[in-house]
Amino acid sequence: MTRRSATIFAIIFGVVFAANFLPRSSAQQRDRFSHATASHKKIECASCHKMPTSNWVAARGYPDVAQFPGHAACASCHRRDFFVGNKPAFCAGCHTSATPRSAPLFPFPVRTRSHEFSIKFPHSVHQDVIASTKKTPPVAVAHFVNARFTRLPDDPPSFNNCAICHDSTKALPKFAARVPTEHKALVAPDAENFTPVAAFFKSMPSGHASCFQCHYQGVKPAAVNCAGCHQLTSPYMASPVVKRYSLKFSHDAVNEKGDKVHTRDCMTCHVRIAGNGDLKTLKDADVPIMTCTACHNHAGDLKKELDSRADSIDKKTPIFQCTYCHTTNVGAYPVPASHEKQ
Amino acid sequence: MPPRRGDAEKQLIFIMAASDAHFYVGSIFGSKQMPLRLCVSAVVLVALACSPIDAQQIGTLEINGRVKIDGKQERLKRKRFYLFRGGLTANKALIDRIGAAEFVSRDCFYCRMNASPEFRAWLKAEDCESPFCRRVSAEDVARVPEFKAAVEKGTVQLGRRPSLAQDWLTTNLTPGLRDGFYLQRKSAIEKILAGLKPLQTGMTDSVSVKAIFIDIPVAPPTGKATETFLITNLAPFEIGTKSYTWACEVEIGADKKAVRSLPVPEPGKRADRCELFVRDIPVCDAQGCTAK
Repeated sequence: MTRRSATIFAIIFGVVFAANFLPRSSAQQRDRFSHATASHKKIECASCHKMPTSNWVAARGYPDVAQFPGHAACASCHRRDFFVGNKPAFCAGCHTSATPRSAPLFPFPVRTRSHEFSIKFPHSVHQDVIASTKKTPPVAVAHFVNARFTRLPDDPPSFNNCAICHDSTKALPKFAARVPTEHKALVAPDAENFTPVAAFFKSMPSGHASCFQCHYQGVKPAAVNCAGCHQLTSPYMASPVVKRYSLKFSHDAVNEKGDKVHTRDCMTCHVRIAGNGDLKTLKDADVPIMTCTACHNHAGDLKKELDSRADSIDKKTPIFQCTYCHTTNVGAYPVPASHEKQ
Repeated sequence: MPPRRGDAEKQLIFIMAASDAHFYVGSIFGSKQMPLRLCVSAVVLVALACSPIDAQQIGTLEINGRVKIDGKQERLKRKRFYLFRGGLTANKALIDRIGAAEFVSRDCFYCRMNASPEFRAWLKAEDCESPFCRRVSAEDVARVPEFKAAVEKGTVQLGRRPSLAQDWLTTNLTPGLRDGFYLQRKSAIEKILAGLKPLQTGMTDSVSVKAIFIDIPVAPPTGKATETFLITNLAPFEIGTKSYTWACEVEIGADKKAVRSLPVPEPGKRADRCELFVRDIPVCDAQGCTAK
């Protein structure tokens, strides 16, 4: 072989070798799987996601999609992307490190990544299904032979209600005051040292546990129909911060005797929930002030605060900041028209 | 007339907003063009004064779910109502469909689904319409054959986990017993609506037995302070041996909350501004599921 031929051979070999490292598809450059690509949008969810995955017992304790789809799901289209270089970026979509060797998987789903799906959840439908006429437990039945399924008053039936999904939180969530955006504060808020406790808040489902209790199979949408509840949307990061206008409201408040105060039906205050067919239109907890003033209508609460605010403006003294329900970063704002109507 | 509480605050906000607007406009046009600056400021002030919040009137409605029937007070807990714009005349077609609609009673439905007497007794015990109503206890599983079969099926399917099978019991019930009653009611309501969309829907709660409708856009005709709406339950409520469907007019204005009760007049008399459809609930028992 002449020296010239050897050089040409070396160049061709080098080009071929280098070309092997060039990305053949955009997937090779992507370390995150995207459901939103044109190709992925065309395929059925179930063609990749198995329900339930083999690890459900250890991962969840109930049948669930608890793991990434296996290699076979990707390989039909991305076989070549697995073998690009020593550290294929493609692998980092599911594995903790990009390497041809077996690396551990991320916990599924990866909570630190942006969400690609929003949830379709109609509260209205669920209220219809769990809505039952709660009969008052019968009184003085102890002396009769109870031939029906009627229970004794000390053994009340456990009716299905909002608590199936929304229970009192056990740990204090991250929280913040929901500051009105349409107005400006009248003054700079006073210093505030109020801190709520865990029992002030209610939890919301973060997985499939409460859904599959009824929707595992049979009731539509069933567990295998991902699109029945999950709708592809622009990527977003879910905020873990619970925002409230009235941070001082406690769902589990007790009076001086230790009895719970807020013992009414959830719908007594969340009046619009039974009419809400789309979670996306539910901007916040949606409790109108009129449901608060149904009980908090005494001289010491809302009325006193409104009078104090008006007086401070009339007398040109420092603006009174409402603190009965609100922390001062909300209480320094103008009184909404809804409060004035009461 | 004494000044309204909050007027001073509104004035303060108005002054704040106006001074802000004035500052921005001033910075755009410069201090030498005073007449133009004043004109623009005046326009901004007028625009602020005529804010859209004032233009849109909204009303509130409270439905009282305490109903007096034959001298006895019944409490319609967790019952759905639908709100429509217009009164009885404007909604005549809807009311005609309500009157003509046929609903299968709870007892007859489950009887036709071949539910066991124990299953029907379980529903009836707490006035439940479906097995989703309340938690099924271990005693209930032992007594009701359908529950027992569902738990046995689930235990095999769910990796020999009887407690999970009991928690997920409804997923192994037959479709008719599971959500059949709800689906047939839903279908009947859709037929009555015939594409008509209610303005709002709401439910009575289980304690105060009231349904509250808020933010109702109200557009009273000229010379009137209120607009006429129709409130109805569309699907009959079963109370005792009869079923009741109301379609009642209610006047809603922006000034104060409208309160509507549901009248049940004596036989032969007509309820004020209401159409009330009262029907006997057919008897379906172990001897036969055809209405008697």
